[in-house]
Amino acid sequence: MNQPTVSFLARHEFLIRRLHSLTGIVPIGVFLCIHLAVNASVIEDVTAFQKAVYQIHSLGGLLPFVEWALIFLPILFHGILGVLILLGGSSNTGDYPYAENYRYLLQRATGLIAGLFILWHVFHMHGWFHFRWWIDGIAAPLGGALFRPFHAASTAGAALQNGYVTTLYLIGILASVFHLANGLWTAGITWGIWTSPNAQKKIWRFCAAFGIILAAIGTSALFGMRHAGKSETFETIQGIENRMYEIRVELGDIRSSEDKRS
Amino acid sequence: MFQQRVLIVGGGLAGLAASMKLAELGVQTSVMSLTPVKRSHSVCAQGGINSVNELTRQEGDSEWLHLDDTVYGGDFLQHQPPVKEMVDWGPRIIDLMDRLGVPFNRTPEGFRDQRRFGGTLHKRTAFAGATTGQQLLYALDEQVRRWQSAGRIAMVEGWDFLGPILDDQGRCRGAVAQNLITMEIRPFPADVVVLATGGCGLIFGRSTMSMASTGSAASRAVQAGARYANGEFIQVHPTAIPGADKLRLMSESARGEGGRVWVPRTPQDPRPPRDIPENERYYFLEERYPTYGNLVPRDIATREIFDICVNDGLSVDPEKPCVYLDLTHIPRDELDRKLGGILRIYEKFQGVDPREVPMKIFPAVHYSMGGLWVDYERSASGGLAKGSPKTHQTNIPGLYAIGECDYHYHGANRLGANSLLSCIFSGLFVAPGIQSMLGSLSDSASDAKYDPLMQSAQADHQKSHDKWLQRDIGGDNPYLIHLELGQIMTSAATVVRHNRTITEAIEKVNELAERAKKCSLSDRGNWTNQNVIFTKALIDMFPLAKAILHGALARDECRGAHYKPEFDMPGIESDDPAERHRQAEEWCTKFEEKNKKWLKTTIAVLDGKGEPSLGYEEVDISLIPPRPRLYGLVGAEIIEEVWKEQHAH
Amino acid sequence: MTTSGKPASFEVRILRQDAPGEPSRWERFRVPYETDMNVISVLQKIAANPRTIDGRDVAPVAWESNCLEEVCGACTMVINGRVRQACSALVDQLLADRPGEIELRPMSKFPVYRDLVVDRQRLFRSLVRVRAWLPIDDYSDRGPGPRQSQAEQEQAYPLTECMSCGCCLEACPQFQKVDLSEYGEGTSDEQRNAAFDRSFLGAHAISQAMLFNGHPIGKTSAAERLDALMAEGGIQVCGNAQNCVAVCPKEIPLTTSIARAGRATTIHTIKKFFDH
Ligand SMILES: Cc1cc2nc3c(=O)[nH]c(=O)nc-3n(C[C@H](O)[C@H](O)[C@H](O)COP(=O)(O)OP(=O)(O)OC[C@H]3O[C@@H](n4cnc5c(N)ncnc54)[C@H](O)[C@@H]3O)c2cc1C
Ligand code: HEM
Ligand code: HEM
Ligand code: SF4
Ligand code: SF4
Ligand code: FES
Repeated sequence: MNQPTVSFLARHEFLIRRLHSLTGIVPIGVFLCIHLAVNASVIEDVTAFQKAVYQIHSLGGLLPFVEWALIFLPILFHGILGVLILLGGSSNTGDYPYAENYRYLLQRATGLIAGLFILWHVFHMHGWFHFRWWIDGIAAPLGGALFRPFHAASTAGAALQNGYVTTLYLIGILASVFHLANGLWTAGITWGIWTSPNAQKKIWRFCAAFGIILAAIGTSALFGMRHAGKSETFETIQGIENRMYEIRVELGDIRSSEDKRS
Repeated sequence: MFQQRVLIVGGGLAGLAASMKLAELGVQTSVMSLTPVKRSHSVCAQGGINSVNELTRQEGDSEWLHLDDTVYGGDFLQHQPPVKEMVDWGPRIIDLMDRLGVPFNRTPEGFRDQRRFGGTLHKRTAFAGATTGQQLLYALDEQVRRWQSAGRIAMVEGWDFLGPILDDQGRCRGAVAQNLITMEIRPFPADVVVLATGGCGLIFGRSTMSMASTGSAASRAVQAGARYANGEFIQVHPTAIPGADKLRLMSESARGEGGRVWVPRTPQDPRPPRDIPENERYYFLEERYPTYGNLVPRDIATREIFDICVNDGLSVDPEKPCVYLDLTHIPRDELDRKLGGILRIYEKFQGVDPREVPMKIFPAVHYSMGGLWVDYERSASGGLAKGSPKTHQTNIPGLYAIGECDYHYHGANRLGANSLLSCIFSGLFVAPGIQSMLGSLSDSASDAKYDPLMQSAQADHQKSHDKWLQRDIGGDNPYLIHLELGQIMTSAATVVRHNRTITEAIEKVNELAERAKKCSLSDRGNWTNQNVIFTKALIDMFPLAKAILHGALARDECRGAHYKPEFDMPGIESDDPAERHRQAEEWCTKFEEKNKKWLKTTIAVLDGKGEPSLGYEEVDISLIPPRPRLYGLVGAEIIEEVWKEQHAH
Repeated sequence: MTTSGKPASFEVRILRQDAPGEPSRWERFRVPYETDMNVISVLQKIAANPRTIDGRDVAPVAWESNCLEEVCGACTMVINGRVRQACSALVDQLLADRPGEIELRPMSKFPVYRDLVVDRQRLFRSLVRVRAWLPIDDYSDRGPGPRQSQAEQEQAYPLTECMSCGCCLEACPQFQKVDLSEYGEGTSDEQRNAAFDRSFLGAHAISQAMLFNGHPIGKTSAAERLDALMAEGGIQVCGNAQNCVAVCPKEIPLTTSIARAGRATTIHTIKKFFDH
């Protein structure tokens, strides 16, 4: 009998699937929470949001590495594997229309939507890569990389003025949030944290509440940002951001960087 | 060096117990079954399994009393040494099942819990929820799977046993079987073949038994020359739920918890049962048996329910015979607490809530006490000799039978919860005997010299199979013939038997058998052809049906499940003490005469034309002398008194 | 006489297939209504008179059954779109849900032998994979098993009721049919088992593994079972759709077993990492 060749993926299926589950929560889920919360700080005050961005960008040259290691790679890993997992299942809500089964379907659908959204969204705001030739030569001409960290609220807001773009963001936010909230629930089963049907029911309510709050934060961030980028307020906000920039350069907190402004 | 092999046909409790024990002894074993063994009929048993236990011992119970209850319940028709050995093994078998992970119900302190079953005063019955048979079977199935994965046991699931292969000396050298999917017919050489193929309820059309309980395997052994013993002893359970496809058991506990049996006084009263006022209801058990009421013994309840529907025409349903078993007067929560499990079964299969609407029930064929005749070797102490190759061997050397398809242990009537014990016991006990049988052989059925024997056996069966497929269309429909057979057998050979009806039934069955031989198939393909498999099983029901009828006709007495009103011994009616005493003496004399004549095993063998001829064999009653079964009889006290006087010394 | 409001007859639509690899087709039968019918008695009626609605005489439909009490698991099929046992599928209820017609299909996750008969060997193979048995020393007399509390019995009992029917597998969106046709006619047992062993175990086997791991004797080989649960096709394939528990006729708490297995494998992984 010839030994069937067992692929690396097959041999380590368990660990890989657990890693998939883990990356969904840490770092991706945690990132999403922080990201949406930070974005939502814009409603409080544009300076709060700008401060947060300064803080992130204080990493300077390390930033791309941190982004890739802690965010992009985990998302790519989780996303690509997620697509493979999704292909390995066959939804059957038609014959078995149970709530959990719909959630199974939605988990996959929202994962896919979130994945597409992230691909586009990061391109749209961030541009994916920091290389000049890429940003100037490719990303910007294609309508991407619109975000300028030292004009955080104003540039992000300006990028969200189009109604279609806003709608896509809204879909992206809601899909990501559902995916995280339901993923949290399934992860608890995967890791064996909640086992009985009762516990699972209770925790599901908790996860739903968490999802609703996070969706509210995300939506306010979206509309807050959109408000900040409106043509009426744009100039004022840019003025505030300019002042913050100048003060920080003067104090030596940051080095002057025109890239991150215009 | 030759490799010997045992073929076990049947993967119920008996077959699996034998195979796992053989595997442990190092014997190569194959297990053949129609269904995956885990789906065998044994899963249906709900009630429990009997054995003496520490608790009953403290009340004075002992293996001896268990033996006594069993042979008394069986009206002394069983050989006593096998029963003695079985009850002695009882406690050990329960312990073993416990170690195998059977989730027996527990007491708060963590001991195994027991309940009381009919025919005894002791709480001997260990149980696992309402699915004891299922749990026991699964425990054995798991062990067999363990041996299978270790290469010691080979599973031959989805094969129909077509018959044993006998050599020129008449010794069994294997079996021919047919695959239910591919229709392949092939020989299975084996040095010992063990039949553990269960009961034969399907001969009665619908029963509480499973679809595989056709008795076809036993019949095929009988057609090869094996003897069939005590066939006429068929246990009928008083309360079953009549269904279009099966009669499902309704546990006795429904009556135990206060269920009342009644019919409307107006035949087929069209009103919903709860609208029928009290005075228009006939609580016939309560009226006819004021002392016992609804809790009369099984056989009496069975006869009365049968009588009210068949003879008095008072069935509650115009389309089928049945009576009401009413629990609706008992509060819901009490019902749920005490009877939840069985009420859910009723609800599931009838779609009606028995807490709101009285259940419809009717007696149903439940168990076959008779079966393949098998030998045994008595030990000095009155039990069975250990490791004897004789025990459980049929009259065909090398062919064994265990479980419900043999005839030991239950005599004329089986006690509840004794069958699971007898199945596991016979399986475990037979293994060392088979091993010593193998040791006495000087060759193996897989030797090349037996190839021609194997090939010719296969060719014969192949030829007859091919002939079936070439049948013309337009003949009788086998399913309808089965229906007819069931009706004839049920009316002639179940609850109440009359020589006239049995004689008529024999004629009808003979004629039906001829029609069956000429029936047509609606499927003549050679792939998963269930039509031909069924038809073959149907044809093979006839020899057993005839053996049952002939045995019943010949046995002019009442014993256990065999009840002929013409030969009933009425109780003592007189009020005058002297006369009572005299009548009781007469009764006892008649009883002894009856035993002298009929305390014998009926043995049917098929003659050259395939018709049964009967012979009788003495029963080993060396341990406990027979005494009258007086349960429920009028004047029982005086008879008992006289009996004791006469047998004081 | 039929009960008021009941039809005189009803239609049965059956997805038929003559043999593995053959195309499947629908055939329709008309069956006279009787009281107390279930799908088995419907199939028996059709077997006794196998004539389609358009008057063609056809071979009787093949199906599996044994106990007719919903304890053996043999008669599992897809009835009106939902997997369940034919013997406990009452015609009255089916017709109430969908008047006029009953639809029968074989299970889709197992290869069809013929009509409604499928090959469920994989289901039993899963039990071998998780070593679903107690490794006791021998069958000699060694006294009773370990004492167990009522609570332990009550936890184990529901799991022991699994009758290997396959409903939980049919309804599971993560359990996919294993195609053995690439091996052709003469698939050896080894090839078949190897193919099974790479595929998802299924909820029933996960639950059985947890049953034995919870037993005092079974605990001694718990690590082997956990390793089996973590091998390819193990518990990680479950996507928490929880259909299994919704369709299980024995109402076995499968998702609880799955979650408990999730916990046990988590701990087992950590232990293995630090102990080896
Ligand atoms: C509803 C019900 C409830 C019961 N409750 C109890 C109870 O509570 N306590 C108790 O002690 N007893 C009870 N009994 C009786 C008891 O269940 C049976 O007597 C016992 O299970 C029989 O087991 P067995 O091993 O002899 O055969 P079975 O379990 O009937 O198995 C027969 C085996 O033989 C195979 N087979 C049959 N024919 C062939 C063939 N032609 N070719 C190949 N294989 C074949 C079958 O596939 C099967 O594997 C009950 C019976 C019924 C019907
Ligand atoms: C990039 C596209 C993504 C795809 C295709 C995807 C796909 C999936 C799939 C299919 C699952 C189910 C895995 C299983 O049940 O076995 C899953 C689980 C999960 N995902 Fe995603 N996902 C994506 C992005 C995200 C994002 C952005 C987040 C965070 C917000 C996230 C968080 C989670 C979590 C927490 C789980 C639960 C893990 C578990 O059940 O153990 N995923 N994802
Ligand atoms: C309220 C809506 C949102 C707004 C206004 C918003 C805004 C931004 C901005 C401005 C950036 C660029 C940050 C930088 O380059 O430093 C960014 C990056 C990113 N956003 Fe969003 N975002 C939103 C929702 C989401 C959602 C729902 C996701 C899904 C998970 C997401 C995932 C990401 C990722 C992965 C990055 C790149 C990581 C990084 O640069 O740090 N965003 N977002
Ligand atoms: S919970 Fe897991 S095993 Fe159960 S149906 Fe869903 S995916 Fe399948
Ligand atoms: S777990 Fe339930 S659905 Fe699955 S095989 Fe067992 S009994 Fe059937
Ligand atoms: S026939 Fe046994 S479950 Fe339906």
